[in-house]
Amino acid sequence: MSFTIARTVEDALAAIAAGARPIAGGTDLVVGARHGKAALPADLVAIDRIAGLDDITAGSAGLTLGANASHHAIEHHPVVAGSYSALADGSALVGSPATRHVGTIGGNVMNASPAMDTGAGLVVLGAEVELRSLHGTRRVPISELWSGPGRTIAQPEELCVAVHLPQPAANSGSAYLRLEYRRAMEIAVVGAAANVTLAADGTVAAVQVALSAVGPTIVSVMGLDTLVGSSVADAAEAAAAAASAQATPISDVRASDRYRRHTVGVMARRAVETAARRAAGETIAIPVNRTLGIGAAS
Amino acid sequence: MTVTTPAPNPARFIRADGPDKVTGSGRYTADLTLTGMLAAKFKYAGIAHGRITRLDTTAAKAIPGVFAVLTQADVPNVRFGPFVQDRTLFADGVVRFEAEIVAAVAAVDAATAQRAVDAIVVEYELLPVVNDPETALAADAPLVHTDWASYGASGALVRERNDASFSSIAKGDVERGMAEAAVVVRSRYDADGCHAAPIEPRAIVAQWEGDKVTIWTSTQVPYDARAGVCETLELPANRVRIIVPHLGGGFGGKCGFHFEAHIAALAKAARRPVRLLFSRREEFLAPDKRRESICYDFETGVSSDGRIVARRVTLVLDNGAYTADAGFFSQLGAMHALGPYRIPNLLAEAHLAYTNHQPSGSVRAPTAPQTCWALESHTDEVARAIGMDPVAFRQLNAVDTGLEGPTGQIYGEIGVQECIERAARMAGYGQQLPDDEAIGVAIGWWPSFAVPSGAYVKIDGDGSAQIITGAQECGTGSVMTLPQLAADELGMSAADFQLVYQDTSVAPYDMGATGSQTLFNNGRAVIAAAAQIAQQLRALAADHLEADPADIVLADGQAFVAGTPGRAVPIATLAGIAAGGELLIGHGSGMPPGPPPISGSTCVGDAGMAAWVAPQFSCHAVRVKLDRDTGVARIMHVAAAHDSGTIINPLGAEGQVQGGVLMGIGQALTEGTGYDNEAHQRTAGLLDYKLQTCADAPPIDIHFVQINTPNAGPRGAKGLAEAPNVATAAAIANAIAQLVGAPVRQLPMTAERVWDTLQEVAQNTIGGAA
Ligand SMILES: Cc1cc2nc3c(=O)[nH]c(=O)nc-3n(C[C@H](O)[C@H](O)[C@H](O)COP(=O)(O)OP(=O)(O)OC[C@H]3O[C@@H](n4cnc5c(N)ncnc54)[C@H](O)[C@@H]3O)c2cc1C
Repeated sequence: MSFTIARTVEDALAAIAAGARPIAGGTDLVVGARHGKAALPADLVAIDRIAGLDDITAGSAGLTLGANASHHAIEHHPVVAGSYSALADGSALVGSPATRHVGTIGGNVMNASPAMDTGAGLVVLGAEVELRSLHGTRRVPISELWSGPGRTIAQPEELCVAVHLPQPAANSGSAYLRLEYRRAMEIAVVGAAANVTLAADGTVAAVQVALSAVGPTIVSVMGLDTLVGSSVADAAEAAAAAASAQATPISDVRASDRYRRHTVGVMARRAVETAARRAAGETIAIPVNRTLGIGAAS
Repeated sequence: MTVTTPAPNPARFIRADGPDKVTGSGRYTADLTLTGMLAAKFKYAGIAHGRITRLDTTAAKAIPGVFAVLTQADVPNVRFGPFVQDRTLFADGVVRFEAEIVAAVAAVDAATAQRAVDAIVVEYELLPVVNDPETALAADAPLVHTDWASYGASGALVRERNDASFSSIAKGDVERGMAEAAVVVRSRYDADGCHAAPIEPRAIVAQWEGDKVTIWTSTQVPYDARAGVCETLELPANRVRIIVPHLGGGFGGKCGFHFEAHIAALAKAARRPVRLLFSRREEFLAPDKRRESICYDFETGVSSDGRIVARRVTLVLDNGAYTADAGFFSQLGAMHALGPYRIPNLLAEAHLAYTNHQPSGSVRAPTAPQTCWALESHTDEVARAIGMDPVAFRQLNAVDTGLEGPTGQIYGEIGVQECIERAARMAGYGQQLPDDEAIGVAIGWWPSFAVPSGAYVKIDGDGSAQIITGAQECGTGSVMTLPQLAADELGMSAADFQLVYQDTSVAPYDMGATGSQTLFNNGRAVIAAAAQIAQQLRALAADHLEADPADIVLADGQAFVAGTPGRAVPIATLAGIAAGGELLIGHGSGMPPGPPPISGSTCVGDAGMAAWVAPQFSCHAVRVKLDRDTGVARIMHVAAAHDSGTIINPLGAEGQVQGGVLMGIGQALTEGTGYDNEAHQRTAGLLDYKLQTCADAPPIDIHFVQINTPNAGPRGAKGLAEAPNVATAAAIANAIAQLVGAPVRQLPMTAERVWDTLQEVAQNTIGGAA
């Protein structure tokens, strides 16, 4: 049993190579252990004090989030809120103020819960995660990262050091929203993110949609290329139908599969509509759930 | 005619225990550590119904660090229960719900205790699981208690097989009433059970000194807890001392006697102090306090001018595996199903069905919120069926001053009509709303409980005073109002009084933080105790000022001669004089007001709930916004008007209404306890059992209709802790029903259930059009 406090990424990589599990905010790892989900790993390496690992850097190439960037920092970063709104919408919904200050993007992504609130946004924004080990670094498209509930393709000795997002296209906008039964300390019943690029005539030039809590991992909705050239309203309807059709939800105490399949379509439709409004230059405050009153109306 | 009078002294004071609790300097039971203290853990059944065929604690006892392992064989063979003696401390050979305690362990630490629990070998012969209260009542249903007939029970209870308490209320001729009605409306409603969910999971510490035991415990009812320990461990009351440090909430869930005897028995066997700390999951599963699920079949007949002429209603309540304090719930539920309405012909029948579920018990206004929800949903259906506005329908049919309630109680001054009018006005009832919003209205009622209670008051030589009371504070702030009452009686200020409370060996009896009764009864006791000292002070002052004691007035910390305020002496001076002679000590109890008479009704299984002392009334009007695509309802505004008599501390009273309303919103929308096919609770944790959060709280407007209430508590106060929890869910339901086009017939009205109902309405509409 050991607990190492890493000061540098190299410290952390060495500890991980020796078998330790990284712990960032601990809001999944520790809380899960207390709930009996999985025992706390015997060896832990705390990565939360690594200098610079929580940096958020915006540049011409896009946006880089250090793995330790907190949900609070993401939610309130002007560039994230303005140009990567779907991500900010997601981070702003996580738990409570306390959870958002402690919980990190790296933890959210690597925890690989299909109900995670940043995942769908990251998928539609085309994010890549940067995984590093003592042997080197690789970048993985985020939609290829998750291999099942709580599982990623990362090797045990790999640390997620950053999440990279490309510069969004001109005239594009994004949004994430979720169905929730209450307005704090909630888990997505279902969720949907959309990234919409508008043509000069106001029709859809590109649209991506991804879904949370309706499958073993975040679901990328396929076959939306055909919507290029259609009106936003038609695209939203089609995306809703595709989302409901492609979702593979389960029934549990929170909702039945039938209800999830229906409501994920509603979320997808609203995500496309909201993303399109943002693409058209409208400011819709973060998070969409509160501003537009989705699910629990404002 | 109702008269609204301002409270005589509406002091908005901040409760004395507030700063301790907010700053963290307050101490709760879990904060206690005693020298040599051991940790307790329980071995639970884990299955809902089975006969123990093998119970072997040998391996557990052999684990180093284990000091005691107890089963039913190690404690007196006592069957207990306030209404039906159907319970033993540990399983008596049969386990009847998943968290039945089979054995208890005390060990050096929690991990060792848990290892020992895991090492206890129990084998079961599985018995058929009784998972549904309605089918439990069938003649051929498996029995939860095969020996039910031989159990001791309160004489008032009518019991038969799995029906632990049948109760009926009849008046007039219901058949004829229905036959004469212009319209008869029938409705079925089903309410899931739910939980008190206090923030503090319970904790108990027990320590023996010789043949006396002190138990620190998070209970709402210290004297009940003491009585339970005395009964099950066969001890006289004066050898058991119950102390409650700060209590981290209760909401009824910590009423009754729970695990104090288990821990006392462990401490005795281990010869060490022992502490039990519940996990959140245990807090959900183990206490015999879950709000009962109830299903309802209503039938109401109305005349063409909108008067209720007859009602027939059947209730089946889930008792769970043991009767706990639910014995009177069938009659109380029947009263709530009849409601505060004038009904000439009626028949209410209620059954309390044993099942293999966690036992039901008092959670804030037991039976009331769910029954009000069902009744008031039904009432809106009735109003709609005869084309009447729901508010007008209630105004026409609700009880009022001088009129007769369902059991034939004639009411003195009551404010139900004013509550309806006020709540509707505060909500803006009748205003034009967007098509996804509606206002629902519901009325509720709740008894005041008149019971014995005691307190001492003393003033020491320096003029500072103490109230030593049996009353228990569970978060309502009710105990905190007692200094105000004593101060007013003695012409002192509330700040002159310190409270000594929550210790059964120090203060006289009080029923505890239950039944909204603290101010009602202990207030009476404190005033009586203070009055004795007032008399002493008047005599001392009369001596000192050479006046007639009858002319002495106590005010502003002084005693003075009426009419000549210049002839005065500070009370502190008199206290100094008394310290050298007859000490200033008062004791008080006072006679509780008796039950009001009733006439014209017949009650079977009468648990004393057919007539209510100082009944409280309320009307809630709630504006709801519905997302029709998802079924998610959001509460936009709540208007709550309450007749709870005189309000002594408006700040505390408003807090009770805000909390009651928020709890009601949770019950309406998100809080429900379902069971799987093996009778395991499906949501025994705060992740899936969804309480409302501050972020969900809507604006709440409150009005108190204050009336000169006859036969009430101090200064005409009634109770207030439970009443605000009664009508909220019902009002929400009536708003949702308008938005959906039909009532949602299950509680909680989860988003999915609302959405399902929307689908049914859509299908019926299409079907109807075709
Ligand atoms: C009360 C509460 C409410 C919550 N609400 C939400 C919510 O609404 N939406 C939501 O999406 N989540 C929610 N969560 C989950 C959690 O807060 C988030 O997933 C958070 O982002 C996790 O980050 P963390 O830093 O705390 O992760 P940790 O618990 O530290 O780690 C989580 C997992 O990721 C691994 N890990 C962490 N960092 C790295 C890294 N850099 N490289 C490799 N592996 C790593 C850990 O080993 C562990 O397996 C909630 C949690 C709580 C306790």
